[in-house]
Amino acid sequence: MADSNTVVGESILIKGNLEGDEDLTVQGHIEGSIQLHKTLIIEPGGVVKAEVSVANAVVSGIMVGNLLASDSVELTETGRMVGDIRAPRVIINEGALFRGQVDMGDLEMPRPSTGVKPSYRPAPRRMEPTRPRLEPVARPAPKPAPPKAAPPPKAPPKPARPEPTKVVKPPKAVGSKKKVVVKKKR
Amino acid sequence: MAAEPPGVIGKGISIRGNLSGGGDLIIEGSVEGQIALKNHLTIEETGVVQADIEAERLTIKGEASGNIVASERVAILTNAKVMGDIKAPVVVIEDGAGFKGNIDMDVKLPDGIL
Amino acid sequence: MANVIGRSIVIDGEISGDEDLVIQGTVKGKISLKESLYVENSGVVEADIDTQNVEISGSVTGNILASEKVELKSDGRMVGDIKAPRILIADGAVFKGNVDMDR
Repeated sequence: MADSNTVVGESILIKGNLEGDEDLTVQGHIEGSIQLHKTLIIEPGGVVKAEVSVANAVVSGIMVGNLLASDSVELTETGRMVGDIRAPRVIINEGALFRGQVDMGDLEMPRPSTGVKPSYRPAPRRMEPTRPRLEPVARPAPKPAPPKAAPPPKAPPKPARPEPTKVVKPPKAVGSKKKVVVKKKR
Repeated sequence: MAAEPPGVIGKGISIRGNLSGGGDLIIEGSVEGQIALKNHLTIEETGVVQADIEAERLTIKGEASGNIVASERVAILTNAKVMGDIKAPVVVIEDGAGFKGNIDMDVKLPDGIL
Repeated sequence: MANVIGRSIVIDGEISGDEDLVIQGTVKGKISLKESLYVENSGVVEADIDTQNVEISGSVTGNILASEKVELKSDGRMVGDIKAPRILIADGAVFKGNVDMDR
């Protein structure tokens, strides 16, 4: 039960409010609003045009609307999003496109006080990396970018970004058959 | 391009005012004011910048507040803290970074989405 | 790593700190350091300077107050007043201003 997963297949269009307590993978279209206590995965080709409130979101397709996550939001290299993000952890990978506001909560920004002895900062304060990593997605963990902004050698040569109409079916999430289960639809 | 070594503003140095020019620059100290560079600016872990920044490429490992315009790329690395609006064709935020503000990468969506 | 304000950098404002600073570019405004300031050949400084040591091979316009030493090298040019316990002006250097070595 813990790993139950809803998949909205590529030919499916849902308009309305979607609520649930399990992971949701979107390969088709959803318009309206989404509230989940788990992870929303928008796959390449998937389009979500909605107000979204989830624990985690991984956007590899298109997301239009505001996204509120209690844990994390990640835009992968094929992700495109227009809207605002509020989440304690936000990751934008090279190649992702985004326009909107990002709010990771309050950052304590010590003001640089020029003229004063600059050693006033005892140690750079760190954002604690206490939050758990994303686990639902089987994909390589985000690698640290190279320190210099030289063309990152690690990024695999990006194929032309897939047109949102044709879906590259990732072997993992789909399993064998494509099932469409929508629970608690209002 | 002449491979000039990057300029360095070290840990013990504070600058208040305008900083402009070409060449790569590394900031380990603090800068308050305005920065306009033609090339690559790196704000190191110890760097604290409170300035509007214009550059070709910007890599932030420390702290920055102010608005950022980069013609190529902005990378906010783990443990960096950034507050302000960013306009650049490529913006990368690593896991563990802190950011608050607006990002504008000029997203083109397929017709009919918006 | 040494502090270097590179050749093509222009700073208009105040620089302060407790490390050595090498200027190859242009600085206008004010410089106060606890250590040494080196104005290299390509360096142009239009600023009042307050440091421990200053070594000038480039050009400085402004007043210098140094707690130890000011050295104007043979290709250095300086317009302004210098107050320091030790002042060295090399043959070939250009200098216009007052010198005060009072301690």
